[in-house]
Amino acid sequence: MTFFDLVVRNLWSKKTRSIGLAFAVAIAVMAVVTLDVTSSGLEQSAAAIISVGKANFTVVQKGAADTLASTIDVNELARLRRTPGVASAVGVLVETQHINADNPVFIEIGISPSDLTTFGVKVVAGHPYSATAAHEVMLGWTAAANLGLTVGDRFNANGTWNTVTGIYSTGNAFGDAGSMFPLPAIQGYNRVAGIVTLVFVKVTKGAAPAAVAARVDYDQPELTTIRTAAQFGRADRDLVYLQAAVNGSTVLAILIGAVIIGNTMLLSLFERTREFGLLRAVGWTRRRTVGLLLGESVLLALIGAALGVALSFVIALVLENLPALRGVLHPDFTQGAFWRALFTALVMTLVGAVYPTTRAALLSPLRALSYE
Amino acid sequence: MSEPTERRLAVEVKGVTRIYPGPVTALADFDLSVDYGEMVAITGPSGCGKSTLLHLLAAIDTPTAGSVIVAGRDLAQIDDLSEYRRQEVGLVFQFHNLLPQLPALSNVELPMFGTHRSSRQRKVRARELLADVDLSDCEDRLPTELSGGERQRVAIARALANKPKVLLADEPTGSLDSASTTRFLELLGRLSGGGTTIVMVTHDSEVAAHAHRIVEMRDGTVVAERLTGAATAVRGGGS
Repeated sequence: MTFFDLVVRNLWSKKTRSIGLAFAVAIAVMAVVTLDVTSSGLEQSAAAIISVGKANFTVVQKGAADTLASTIDVNELARLRRTPGVASAVGVLVETQHINADNPVFIEIGISPSDLTTFGVKVVAGHPYSATAAHEVMLGWTAAANLGLTVGDRFNANGTWNTVTGIYSTGNAFGDAGSMFPLPAIQGYNRVAGIVTLVFVKVTKGAAPAAVAARVDYDQPELTTIRTAAQFGRADRDLVYLQAAVNGSTVLAILIGAVIIGNTMLLSLFERTREFGLLRAVGWTRRRTVGLLLGESVLLALIGAALGVALSFVIALVLENLPALRGVLHPDFTQGAFWRALFTALVMTLVGAVYPTTRAALLSPLRALSYE
Repeated sequence: MSEPTERRLAVEVKGVTRIYPGPVTALADFDLSVDYGEMVAITGPSGCGKSTLLHLLAAIDTPTAGSVIVAGRDLAQIDDLSEYRRQEVGLVFQFHNLLPQLPALSNVELPMFGTHRSSRQRKVRARELLADVDLSDCEDRLPTELSGGERQRVAIARALANKPKVLLADEPTGSLDSASTTRFLELLGRLSGGGTTIVMVTHDSEVAAHAHRIVEMRDGTVVAERLTGAATAVRGGGS
């Protein structure tokens, strides 16, 4: 019998309790991982918006609740274009529309046809809409395929029928699953004349994008520049709050889980006091006795973590397919989520085990053996 | 003419007093010497200090005063009492104290954790020990699947796992029927014959009669001490 066999046997001998504890760990891990992958997925979706344009960096309103709530007016856009080092600054308005049950959050990008090439849009079928057309639209190739539409078809959006003049490709999955409208038209539909959501900036040849971005940040403090997805929190307060909520939930889950585990382990310790006394009496050291208790806890934590991740997969799948969230939520099971699961389970279990194991270590063999 | 050789003692208890909070004096200036290979029965009424003596010898309790020397080692001078408990003494309890979740073989292996033996070696040794106590066919049985006598023999096998110099038994036949008691005492006799020192606490005078020497205690001190027929037979045979 190895030490590991002993750990397994001990857990197996109290199956109901062990399974209950593993589930307690699993539920906490599930909550943490589901929140994490959901927030990560939302961040990826939001970050994908700024990656649609082929730009050196993106400019948004500083401190906006979320990216799509950013508002930049024509004056700010004009000033941005005058910034030294800026070669082009394409302003776009990004809105969402409920098209049908399969496309509850459909992306609409308002952009001038003259900016399409600069923006990195390639028209793969048909032609672009005209700059001032009221009822013309281009569909991303993925959106066209999903909706079963092609050039010349009519597409109902924003309460009106629009003619599909072309099919485009941006090389970005998020952009290709949406649509593009003349900028004034989409501003009109949403009653935000002269306003854009994002500005995609390309710098002049030889200029350092970081230096130009820093200059924009300095000159126009009401705006902020984003060069990487990691900088996204600058513009999207919701994601910052969401990440804070995930971290807070992790701490809370660890604390609640630790109390449950500590309580159950303490109960188990009381029940097994004679057993620990016997082990000490037959020559087990304090360290080995504590190691046995910790070994049992760590094994439970690992089982709980694995179970929790599996449960979070299921929950994420359910959330992803909820009609209200379809197309918005793409849970992102990164390596970080698995580490977070392991970290949560281990910390929760080890924190919970501190008091019981300390008591076990301090047990007098004689008192333990005479414990009733 | 040769010098008289110094008597080598397996157990030497010198002037030991043990006072528990209360205060309750369990042992008062107690002395006891046990030779290697000797089987000593400690008898006396409840509360006379028999079990306290055994706990001190097993190093699971410490004396208030005096010294306990086992196999030449003064217990007060030992830093790692776990190692002492593992290597020098084997402990058998009245109610066997087997771990209910482990089969007989694994219970016997327990004291061997922390020794140089690999898990395979532990298993081989545990099998040998179970064979020695005639329980080869019970190695996979849980304690609940064994009779009282079988459990106690598993407990003995466990106590002998690391070849201790001294076997300590606290009322080992207290929960056994007469047939199991007889088999158990035969086993102790074999062990003693093999050179294992045995200190056994018992209420039962018939059980005590199987020892070489009976030490009678009262109120924490020795009140009588006598050799038995077993000792006479051994010594007579040996002369």
